[in-house]
Amino acid sequence: MIVAGDVHVEFRHGMLRKKLHALNGINLDVRDGDFFALVGQNGAGKSTAMYCMLGLMKPTSGKIEVMGRVPELGSELYRDVAYLPEEPHYHLYLTVEEATRYYASLYGRRVTPKKIDDTLERLGLGQFKSLPLSKCSKGMKQKVGIAQCLIHETRLLFLDEPTRGLDPLLVREFREALREIHQRGATIVMNSHVLSEIEMLANRVAILERGKVVAQDDLRSFLTVDNELYSVAFEANGSAPHYATSVERTGNVMRADIPKDKLYDFMQHTKGSGLTLYECSLKKNSLEDSFFELIKGEEATD
Amino acid sequence: MTELVQANLRADFAYYRRSRLLLAFMLVFLLLTSLSSLPAFFGDSGVQSFNALQEIVSNLNICLMLLSGGVALFVISSHLRNRSLKMVFTKPCKPSVWLASAFLSAVIVAMLLHLVVLLSAVGLSYWWHVPVRPGLVFILTDNLIASIGVIAYLTLLASVAHPAVAATFALIFNADMFYAAHEWTQGALQSGHAGLFMRILDKAFDFLYLALPMVQAFGKQTETIYQSYRVTHGSWKYLAYALGYAMILSAFCYLTSLYALQRRKYI
Repeated sequence: MIVAGDVHVEFRHGMLRKKLHALNGINLDVRDGDFFALVGQNGAGKSTAMYCMLGLMKPTSGKIEVMGRVPELGSELYRDVAYLPEEPHYHLYLTVEEATRYYASLYGRRVTPKKIDDTLERLGLGQFKSLPLSKCSKGMKQKVGIAQCLIHETRLLFLDEPTRGLDPLLVREFREALREIHQRGATIVMNSHVLSEIEMLANRVAILERGKVVAQDDLRSFLTVDNELYSVAFEANGSAPHYATSVERTGNVMRADIPKDKLYDFMQHTKGSGLTLYECSLKKNSLEDSFFELIKGEEATD
Repeated sequence: MTELVQANLRADFAYYRRSRLLLAFMLVFLLLTSLSSLPAFFGDSGVQSFNALQEIVSNLNICLMLLSGGVALFVISSHLRNRSLKMVFTKPCKPSVWLASAFLSAVIVAMLLHLVVLLSAVGLSYWWHVPVRPGLVFILTDNLIASIGVIAYLTLLASVAHPAVAATFALIFNADMFYAAHEWTQGALQSGHAGLFMRILDKAFDFLYLALPMVQAFGKQTETIYQSYRVTHGSWKYLAYALGYAMILSAFCYLTSLYALQRRKYI
């Protein structure tokens, strides 16, 4: 669906036109039907990579192909593409209904007023049709962006930090809408800082650090199980044993990591002290754990 | 293509209706024009009424030209500055279509404003019992054509610079300004100040006068019409010439703006 090969983007800034490398030869491979997440710290190059895929920015060198074509502003390629930018890059002077109709009509296909009404109703925007976008919350604006995707059933959707600034209820609604679009067969490319959200939605992840892709794989490969470490939760009464790491106490429950070779000692310790053991399982690494490990590794090599 | 142009025009008209900045800009110019035209309403005789009508139309013409330019400047720069074009160019709508629609929408607004002024001038003529002369139509058509040139020039400037810089540049860098400057250096040279600096300045002003767009390319030839509101049979051709000039200028400014828009590193 999208192939990026050795893409470099350089900016020049300041009086001396100093060079700044936004992307340092990234390679990306987004397959048909993927829910692909770009993850990275601020300034890692996520948005730049997305702008290059969208044709909004031209790479200094390297090649990007989307659905077999080089993305160019306003080209026919976009008949199957929808893009939700970060706030506030919408036409804020238009009302919800006008903006939905405008964005829908830019696809050059006829859209009936009924379809627009139905889509707005479905997204819970029916009663806000005449409200200018400048007065809408971020969630409502994002729903206007989602509407274009539902109206034209686009094959490829780009999302730039879609849930930033949304309340938990809207995040859940938004997530459901994205799942629906993905299940319909659309490919989704999203960049986000919210790693827990990516764990819930994405099936493939690329981690970017200082303009480079440091890892790119299926989400499963980032959610590893550590065979040498156990996660335990037990009754908090006194201190944790000295070999326990990452100790956290919440109310009457203590959580800690125990090395595999100390598990027997730990069992003896809880039994001897009469403590209740609530949980004991092999430690699972989250996307966040893998992310920090990779970032740390990258910093160490530099 | 037609559907895309229509969609963009609808969006642009919504912008014109709701932009508070544009509204403030329009109100300021209308207020200034009204104030400067106010004395003209207090004449009694027929001659005074004709002079008053001339003054009002002349003031409104300047106001319309500035408003038309302002409309183009605002519509281009506001979309570029708030980056909403990302939403347009990531759909099958090319920058060329969007730019043409923005230009066209400003021209349509200019046409409507000129029509309102024409009807108002005709109304005033009847009210003051001043005969409606064809010169009125000629002058407003000529002014509309000149406004199209101003719209094109400001479309170009707004595509490459900050709106404040674009507006300042347009006020300073136009052929009329350098025509006056060139006449001044010519006068200085003829009166014996023929130093190297003055000669260089003269050449520079002459070059700029020739290179920069003219507001009224055939102003000299149509000067008498503006004074008498009478149009001789042979004068109508100057409207066609002026339109030709405005079209060439518009085509140049459109293509240059499009090039600048496509060359932007970041939309």
